[in-house]
Amino acid sequence: MSVNITTLDERTRVTSEADSALDTEEYFVNMGPQHPATHGVLRMVLKLDGETIKEVIPVLGYIHRSIEKICEHSTYRQIVHLTDRMDYLSSIMNNWAVSLTVEKAANIELTERIEYIRTIVAELERIHSHQVAWGVMGMDLGAFTPFLYGFRDRELVTDILEETIGARLTMNYIQPGGVMFDIHPNFVKKVKEYIAYFRPKLDEYEDLMSGNPIIQQRLRDVGTMDGETALSYGATGPVLRASRVPYDLRKIEPYGVYGKADFNVAIGTAGDCWDRYYVRIEEMRQSIRIIEQLIDNIPEGKFMVKKPAVKIKVPEGRYYGHVETARGVLGVFIVSQGKDIPYRMYFRTPNFHNLWCTTAIAPGGRIGDLVAITASLDLVIPDIDR
Amino acid sequence: MGLVKKEEYAFDTMPGVDVVLTKIDYVVNWARSNSLWPLTFGTSCCAIEMLMATGGPRHDLARFGAEVTRPSPRQADLLILAGTIVKRMAPRLRTLYDQMAEPRYVIATGACTISGGPFLYHSYSTIRGADEIIPVDVYVPGCPPRPESLLHGLLTLQKLIKEGQTIRKPGVRHKPVISEIPEGVSREDITAEMVELLEHDSVVNIEETLGNLERPTGI
Repeated sequence: MSVNITTLDERTRVTSEADSALDTEEYFVNMGPQHPATHGVLRMVLKLDGETIKEVIPVLGYIHRSIEKICEHSTYRQIVHLTDRMDYLSSIMNNWAVSLTVEKAANIELTERIEYIRTIVAELERIHSHQVAWGVMGMDLGAFTPFLYGFRDRELVTDILEETIGARLTMNYIQPGGVMFDIHPNFVKKVKEYIAYFRPKLDEYEDLMSGNPIIQQRLRDVGTMDGETALSYGATGPVLRASRVPYDLRKIEPYGVYGKADFNVAIGTAGDCWDRYYVRIEEMRQSIRIIEQLIDNIPEGKFMVKKPAVKIKVPEGRYYGHVETARGVLGVFIVSQGKDIPYRMYFRTPNFHNLWCTTAIAPGGRIGDLVAITASLDLVIPDIDR
Repeated sequence: MGLVKKEEYAFDTMPGVDVVLTKIDYVVNWARSNSLWPLTFGTSCCAIEMLMATGGPRHDLARFGAEVTRPSPRQADLLILAGTIVKRMAPRLRTLYDQMAEPRYVIATGACTISGGPFLYHSYSTIRGADEIIPVDVYVPGCPPRPESLLHGLLTLQKLIKEGQTIRKPGVRHKPVISEIPEGVSREDITAEMVELLEHDSVVNIEETLGNLERPTGI
C-alpha cells in the first residue's frame, strides 16, 4: 500500500484552463472555519465548477487541543474529565469508554447497580444528543422551529441529569470503578414522567419535519452512500447503519446491561441523508424502550466500588475498549507501563471517520447538498480534532 | 476610565458643543446596549450552552434584545467567545474581530477563553486566555457556564456600555476581585509561585528529556 502525500497548496492549484468562452473554469472556495453550517470551526476547501462540487478537502486543526498529550500527564480519573470535552453531546458515553477500558485492564469488578445506572443515563444522553441533532438539522436546512422544539425537550433531559450529576453538559459522571454519585431519589419518578411526556412529542417531531415536502426534497437521494463505502471510510453509528449495515456495539458486543434489554437496531435502506435523519428518530424510540425496561429494575448495591481518591494502577501492556456513542464507535487505546498515568493514550473518535465520508459522497452535488450532508452526519468538531 | 477619558472620546467623535454631547452619548449608549447583535461563533462545548441553549426557548436571549445572531462579522457587534481558542485559530479570531463594525464588544465565556481552563497545563496548542489576542469586556466563568451566567454577563455588559466603560485596547484587563489573602503572604509571592509553575511546565530541555525518556517494554 502506498500513500501519496500532498500539501494543501498543491491540491488547490487550478489545473484546468478554460479553452473557449463556453467552457467553465474550476475554482476553489473556503467553507469555514467560521461558517454557521459547519457546527464549529471545521474548514472545507471546495473545488467547484459553477455550483457543482468537484472535490471536498477537509482541513483540520482549528480546535486541536492536544488532549492525547495532556492524557500522558494525567491519572485515569483526570482523563475522564478531558473526554467530556471531546464529543460534548455524548459526554457520559465518552466517560464510559475510558472507564470500561481501565476496568478491563485493572480487573475491577462492578456491581449490578452501577451497570444499570450507567446504561440508563447513557441512553438518556443519547436521546438528548439526537434531539440536538434533529433541531440543528432543521436549522441548517432553513427551518428555525425544529431547533426550538428540540431544545425545549432537551432542557427536560438536562434537568433530570443535573439533579443527579450536577452538570448540564460536561457530566464527568462515570468513573473507573463506578459512578460519581448515587442517583437522586427523584430520578426514577422523573425519568418515567419524561418518557410519558416525550413519546407523543416524538410523533410531533415527525409531523413537523418528516412529512415536509421541502425537507424531503433536500434530503432524499442526496449524499447516497452504499455500505461498502461507509465501511471502507470507517464510518460508524447512525451514518453506517443508514447504509444498511446493522453494526451496533450495543447488540454485537453488549456492555453494561444492554444484553438484558430488548431493542432493535434501526437501519436505513438507501443510505441517503434522509435515512441518516430517520435512523436517529428511530434510535430515540429504541432508547425509550431500553430505559422503560430497565428503570424499574435498578438493583440495590454500591454505586462506587473504589474510593474516588484512590489512584488506579493499570498493569503493563496495551488495552483497547470501545463503546457506541450517539455518533458511532469511540475506541480508547491505552499503552501502560504499570504506573497510574498512561504512557500513551489514543482515541479512535467516530466523527473523524464520519467526516471523511463527505469526500466520497459530496462531489457531484451542489453546495446546498453539502450543508444537508454535514447536517446528516451530525459532526462535532472538537471530537474530530481532539 | 475616568471623566477625562470620557471627554476625550466625546471630542474625538463630535468636537464642539459640550453639554449636548454628553446627553447624546447617554442616549446612544442606551440604544446600543439594548440592541446587541451577536456573531454566531462557537468553537467547542460552550457553543451548545451559550449560543444554542441560551438562544433556545427556556432561557430566551431575545428578552434582552440580543437574539439576532449574525453569521457575518460585518453585521455583528457582539462577539461571544464560546470555546477554546487554539494557536491555529488565533489569527482567524483576530481577523473576525477586526472585521466587526465599531463599536464592538466581547464576552469571554468559559474557563478556556479566560485562562486556558482544563487545557492550561501540558497543552502545546491552546491559547491561555483569549484576551491575549483581542480586548475582552466581560468574563463569564464556568466549564461551561450555565445559560443564566451568560444572561448575567450580558446585563453586566449592558451596564458597562451605558456607563461608557468598555475596553478598547488588547491586553487591558478589568481589575480582578481578589479574596482575602492569608497573613504573611503577599500578592507578589503568589505571582512568583504561579510564574515558577508555568515556567516549569513550559520550559523543557529537550536533550535532557530525550536522555531520560523511558521506552515501554513489551511492545
